[in-house]
Amino acid sequence: MVDQVVNGHHGGLIGSQPTPPTTAGEAKQFRREAGFPTGWLIAPAAIWLIVFLVIPLISIVVFSFWTSSGYGMEPDLTLHHYGEYFHNQGFFIPGDDNFLRPSVFIRSLGSTFYFALVVMVLCLVIGYPIAYFLAMQVKSFKWQLALFLLCMVPFWTSYLIRAVAWIPMLGRRGLFNKMLMGLDIIDKPIGILLYSEFGYTMALVQLYVVLCVGPIFFSLAKIDQAILEAARDMGASIFQIFREIIGPLSLPGVAIGMIFIFVMIMGEFATAVVVYGGKTSTTGTVILNYYAIANYPFAAVNALMLMLSMMIGVVVILKIVDIRKEL
Amino acid sequence: MAKKRQKTPTSVRKAGLTRRQFVGTAAGTAVAGAITGFPNIVRAADPTRTIGLGVSIINEIQGQASKDLGFPIRGQALGYGAMFGKMLNQNDQYEVAEGYYNDFDVMVPAKVWQPIDTKRIKQWDAVTDLCKTGRLTPDSNVGQGDAPFRHLWVDENGDRVEGPSRYITAVPGWHNADSMGYNPEETGRKIDSWAELFSDDFKGQVALLNVPQIGTMDAAMGVEALGLYKFKDKGNMTREEIDFLIDFLIKKKKEGHFRAFWETFGQSVNLMVSGEVVLESMWSPAVTAIKAEGVPCIYAFPKEGMRGWHGCLSISAKVTGKALDQAYKYVNWWLDGWAGAFVARQGYYMSVPDNVKKFLEPEEWDYWYMGKPAAKELPDPFDTIIVPEGEIRDGGSYWDRFKNIAVWNSLMDENDYLVKRWTEFLSA
Amino acid sequence: MRRWTRERRRRAWIKTGYSVYFVLFLIFIYGPMIAMFVLSFQGRRGGTSFPMRGVSLYWWEKLIEPSTVGDLQGALLRSLVLALIVMAFTALFSTMLSMAFRKRFPGSGVLFYTVMAGLMVPGILLSLGLATLLKEVGIPPAWWSSALGVHVVWTLPFGFLVMMAVFNRFDSRLEEAARDMGADEWTVFKEVTLPLILPGVVAAGLFGFTLSYDEFARTTLLAGEFNTLPLDINASMTQRIRPTLFALGTASTIFSLLMIALFVIIYTILYRRAR
Repeated sequence: MVDQVVNGHHGGLIGSQPTPPTTAGEAKQFRREAGFPTGWLIAPAAIWLIVFLVIPLISIVVFSFWTSSGYGMEPDLTLHHYGEYFHNQGFFIPGDDNFLRPSVFIRSLGSTFYFALVVMVLCLVIGYPIAYFLAMQVKSFKWQLALFLLCMVPFWTSYLIRAVAWIPMLGRRGLFNKMLMGLDIIDKPIGILLYSEFGYTMALVQLYVVLCVGPIFFSLAKIDQAILEAARDMGASIFQIFREIIGPLSLPGVAIGMIFIFVMIMGEFATAVVVYGGKTSTTGTVILNYYAIANYPFAAVNALMLMLSMMIGVVVILKIVDIRKEL
Repeated sequence: MAKKRQKTPTSVRKAGLTRRQFVGTAAGTAVAGAITGFPNIVRAADPTRTIGLGVSIINEIQGQASKDLGFPIRGQALGYGAMFGKMLNQNDQYEVAEGYYNDFDVMVPAKVWQPIDTKRIKQWDAVTDLCKTGRLTPDSNVGQGDAPFRHLWVDENGDRVEGPSRYITAVPGWHNADSMGYNPEETGRKIDSWAELFSDDFKGQVALLNVPQIGTMDAAMGVEALGLYKFKDKGNMTREEIDFLIDFLIKKKKEGHFRAFWETFGQSVNLMVSGEVVLESMWSPAVTAIKAEGVPCIYAFPKEGMRGWHGCLSISAKVTGKALDQAYKYVNWWLDGWAGAFVARQGYYMSVPDNVKKFLEPEEWDYWYMGKPAAKELPDPFDTIIVPEGEIRDGGSYWDRFKNIAVWNSLMDENDYLVKRWTEFLSA
Repeated sequence: MRRWTRERRRRAWIKTGYSVYFVLFLIFIYGPMIAMFVLSFQGRRGGTSFPMRGVSLYWWEKLIEPSTVGDLQGALLRSLVLALIVMAFTALFSTMLSMAFRKRFPGSGVLFYTVMAGLMVPGILLSLGLATLLKEVGIPPAWWSSALGVHVVWTLPFGFLVMMAVFNRFDSRLEEAARDMGADEWTVFKEVTLPLILPGVVAAGLFGFTLSYDEFARTTLLAGEFNTLPLDINASMTQRIRPTLFALGTASTIFSLLMIALFVIIYTILYRRAR
């Protein structure tokens, strides 16, 4: 399909045209089935993705093999940057301090991954009841949408602005400390709210929890109330109903929400700087640092490794829950 | 359209419109001009496009230039990373680049700019020796690292040459020397050495700049001042030197010495104002901003010397013909003094002090350049009073300050290694 | 009779519990913005952190005046227009793709992971890659062309996955019934499918709007000569940050809340009339 599109309609940055199925046989096959022909449905997006994603992505892959000249790149193929990424001085040399320590770039990736897992669990625990509330307790579509939008409003203030507001909120002289002191919970300001692992984790949850509410809501909303009613009438407990009906049926939404949060945290670079005071390095910040000194090949290597680990994560999530199976 | 909008503030002050009238017109122009950038807009004259940081791309400055020169100057302000990327990769997207000499190890070999002919720079003789020889006064210290004079001279092909030649990489502009800012009420003592950055008295209340190239230099100053290590060239460290420094920083970080690492001007201001830190590496105008918010803050004048940086104007290699003439006119305009006076009121210095003097009031000149107490209240460029009467600028006069630059902002040869070790420091 | 009231009371309790939890949740996600709301009324000489130095509307007035660095109003408008266009494309493409994915077709796996790749490729390098190519070809980047392109690449997977959740276990018997009654594909879509999936389409579009409006990294090299709002704010941070930014944040929050209220009112009126 992808190849067809390239051959059929190349060029034209924006005005991507739908491609009709090229061979007669295929066309027939599509027409026989119900619904719009698949070719027409996927062609515009496919062309768009090829122009704005696949081709630039190929160039990133190519860059990662080029030589960094100190002021950009030269097209001399090398594996140097991959070596630099994986190699760590003293790794697996007995007696060395770095005996079992992988390179700093892999460790950055690892710690990013750790934060992603923690935040995913927290978001699920916090976000699931919200989605459940919206889907099961709020009856009208009007209020469902209105309340969902209410959860989204904080996103419509640029994160750059929200980031600036963290300090007056959570800092030593911030509102939160003042409030706690006013309530006599603490007697002197606490510093752990900001620039700490705790503060960082909470900030990530706060920023991204909404992303998992949406998909979970949609999968919950489709559960037929009659089934739940029947189960209840048969004397099933709330726990049983959840384990047997609601839980399994909402799994695709959970999986999709987890994918959102996973990739967002893995690609994260701004929150670490603002809320954690730059006291950690995520793969996102590593990429930016190498971008800032024009070492594009090495930035590209880091980017590809990041993508690879994201892809693995997503595949694993989709292996656990096949969201396409029940389509 | 952009030109009209940019001009409004200046005309307001002169014409004395009331605020209400002004807000009305401004809103009108803003809405009318807002969609600029959509295709099919009619352009009166081809504008000269210039990109840079918010330090030099300020609507009032480009607005005044458009008025004085008779053709539109369109400034695009960017953050540092975005500016750097655009300058290097998209030299067809601007005519003039308002960059910084410490990036020239990248920009000059990449040949994204054309050599500037000093014969076409009318005020070239008025430009001080700071960039030409590295010595503002004959007894000055040239400083380590990417001092402007090491990056200034090129031949007509844009290849670097030693010493004076007809062609230069960029016309010297605004500059300053950075050190540390501190809250005297919290530190309880005068800070006059970089060593204080690592003093246990301020454990957990210190912030460093989170730009590997610059942050390491501040740290190196501190390590040297403590007598722990002697760097051969802080502006171009060897791997061993970087290793020693980063290992020391990692040890300090594990002790919980650093409260945070900041990246933008505004972050550094907020850290001090909100009481998170009492001492941090800082840029001079940030200290002014903190004081303006009513928090006591002093700009340290360390005895080891300061860390200098220098902004400048370059012309893209793609510019020819009429556009090139316009670009030269704009670059020349910066040296006339008006722009220098504008940035002086924000605490920056200009490469042509004699021309700047013409556009400053005597009291302003005495305060900003001569380091004397302010004879009266002084405003920033937007007419907000920021200097109370009697205040004195730390660090003395311009010439005293730039006599003792220990090191200039730099890109090191071992830059890749430095960034790698810095990453280890942050994740330690 | 007694059992009935107990059941009802139990449900009321559950509902109250969830409502309280929802309010707590709102406080959690709005919390960090409270300081922003308060500080937007900072006095003329105050800054972006406490203490307040007087109370004024000074920074709100600044919102409509030309800014010092950059072009706040223009950037805001460009970002809004861009986000709306992205919203439309995201809703359209993700609906089309998810409908295609209701059937198995050759290459569907490749296409699925290509869409997902848009979610994963680090923005700054996508921006660099495309900018390099555009320079080779000689097409200048602009916020309404190249930036639009990568924004949709970024938002599409979100919309697409939301639509996947919507079409998951979608009951197609209604559509078949309509087809059996002789309706053509367009009619089936317009009259049967669309009304059923509309909430999902709206949600997909909203994801598109939100993510595009806030996108910085992907835009850095692709916005061309005019900044979008995130680029403009990023540039303004090379100077002193002023409470104008907080006024902008507060204004956009209030505006959004008003729009939601308006939506509820309009929906209520329309629904009543329809009945």
